[in-house]
Amino acid sequence: MYNLEFENTIMFLNYTIALSDLGTLSNMGVFSLIIINKAGGLIYQREFQAGLRKLSTNDYLVLAGTFHGVHAITRSITPKIPSVQPPSPATSSPSTTTPAASHSYPNPGVPVTGLDYLETDKFRLTCFQTLTGTKFLLFTDPLTGNVDTIVQKIYELYADFVMKNPFYQIEMPVRCEAFDRHLGAWLRGRT
Amino acid sequence: MSSNKTSRIGEETRVDKVNAELVTLTYGTIVAQLCQDYDSNYQDVNKQLEKMGYNIGMRLIEDFLAKSGVGRCANFRDTADMIAKVGFKIFLNVTPTVTNWTSDNTQFSLIFEENPLADFVELPDDGRAQDELWFSNILCGVLRGALEMVQMQIEAHFVSDVLRGDDTTEMRVSLVRYIEDEMPPEEE
Amino acid sequence: MAAPPRHATMLSISNGDKPAQTQAQSQQGTLPQSPGLRVPSNRKTIYDRHLNRSRNAESSRASFAFLFGEMVTYAQRRVTGIQDLEKRLNEQGYPLGLRLLDLLFYRSTSTSSSALSSSSTSSSPPNRPLRIITLLHLIHGPLWRLLFGRAADALEHSVSPDTPNEYMITDNDPLVNTYISVPREMSMLNCAAFVAGIIEGVCDGCGFETKVSAHNQPTDLWPSRTVFLVRFGDAVMEREKVLERSGVK
Repeated sequence: MYNLEFENTIMFLNYTIALSDLGTLSNMGVFSLIIINKAGGLIYQREFQAGLRKLSTNDYLVLAGTFHGVHAITRSITPKIPSVQPPSPATSSPSTTTPAASHSYPNPGVPVTGLDYLETDKFRLTCFQTLTGTKFLLFTDPLTGNVDTIVQKIYELYADFVMKNPFYQIEMPVRCEAFDRHLGAWLRGRT
Repeated sequence: MSSNKTSRIGEETRVDKVNAELVTLTYGTIVAQLCQDYDSNYQDVNKQLEKMGYNIGMRLIEDFLAKSGVGRCANFRDTADMIAKVGFKIFLNVTPTVTNWTSDNTQFSLIFEENPLADFVELPDDGRAQDELWFSNILCGVLRGALEMVQMQIEAHFVSDVLRGDDTTEMRVSLVRYIEDEMPPEEE
Repeated sequence: MAAPPRHATMLSISNGDKPAQTQAQSQQGTLPQSPGLRVPSNRKTIYDRHLNRSRNAESSRASFAFLFGEMVTYAQRRVTGIQDLEKRLNEQGYPLGLRLLDLLFYRSTSTSSSALSSSSTSSSPPNRPLRIITLLHLIHGPLWRLLFGRAADALEHSVSPDTPNEYMITDNDPLVNTYISVPREMSMLNCAAFVAGIIEGVCDGCGFETKVSAHNQPTDLWPSRTVFLVRFGDAVMEREKVLERSGVK
């Protein structure tokens, strides 16, 4: 009994140390952000931690394009299950029944999404695709919580400081000083 | 999504505010500037307003989605409800009535009880403006641009306007088609 | 002293020939409407609805941002450079200033009395500013509050003896620039030229011929801090001296 409690304390201590390590990394373990436009082109890339090793611009472009493709594939390979054909007068003739009509996604009310996240021991990549087709890719520490909240806030800042900027052209690379500034300030404010 | 729930999203979405008169007067100067630039050729002004609205719509949709947090609509009836009770509520603080559906559910009307864009407005008394100019035509473009970004091609136009002496302000919205997304056709 | 304001540059925005303010005044006067215009049977017209109806109404800041952004985009297609763009934005704000001036006077004169009785006296608003300082306080306070919900951040007079006609109104964070990032190659541009035009309209409407321009004066704390430079014309400065001597406030 006594030993068990002791062990729990040790574990708890380890946990807090891990958290404070993250804190010193700043930004609650948010490494970087990538935004991909509808066509799969890289339109924004930024690191949030000083000294983070950068990939080359070309690597980022390839990463964006590749992820875009993989994302599309994960949508298309979503398994479809045989569905019960609702009997209707139109389908009474057997020749009109096609194989396509007899399969549907599980839980058809929920739209099919692509890849939502990738995770390794060292990082987690969260993909948020808006209904308009823009993708926000956030690289975080695997232990970072509330990633959905962070991504949501980034989307709001994007709507404000990119979409409402008359000098930004839709689908083009994002060069908006106010977006950079507010994004940086908000992430810093979270720590 | 239930109609009540839609209304609630419209009410509860947090919106940064400005003086409504600033919006009204700014829009007024835009229309007046176009009338000047196009030498009071009102057909051209209507067209240009629609185009400006389209540009706005393509951007505004992101703000709408980011701030309201709503998901994809199940059908066009849901879309109409979302436009009226969330979209117009958030951006103009009015809620037009959705009505006059066609039986195939692809066309409806928005009836505007209030139209903040047209407050303080009287059309030029030149014998033409009341027959030719659709003062709030930018709104048609906004709907077209916004819906196109979420894979719906629509057509929108005003059929009446109190500024023209009509008793109502009514916009007609028609679904042309759902735009296929980037996915290859899934099956034969 | 109650001579009608003269406008150095009058830009009528609705139909060409008639000066905008004369038109606005005739609308407020006794003439109910032009006989040529049709009105809805429920009489939902500007003459039947109270002018203060929208006084405290609010709209979304996003809607303003999108409209203003589109105004900038549209203006950009028709100009040759940054100065030209600012000039055009200024011209778009100018008529707004003239109209707001009427609204400001109307609101500051009408109390609880009926709208009609107060608006019928609009030919000589009692509190039209006669001196530069009164005018600038009207802009810094009431005008800014009407447009942006708060007063401007500073009002200063040029310290240089060469330019006694120059005043500066500072806004630490102009609402019109909230979401705008100007591209590096256009770094001189300030879209608040639109607001400069509004100020110019208000001044001109009061009979103070002036030129107003917007300038970037960023600080670390206020990256979009903007100074509106108000330069009054020689005639205004002359008159100011006469008024000073005769003790007019």
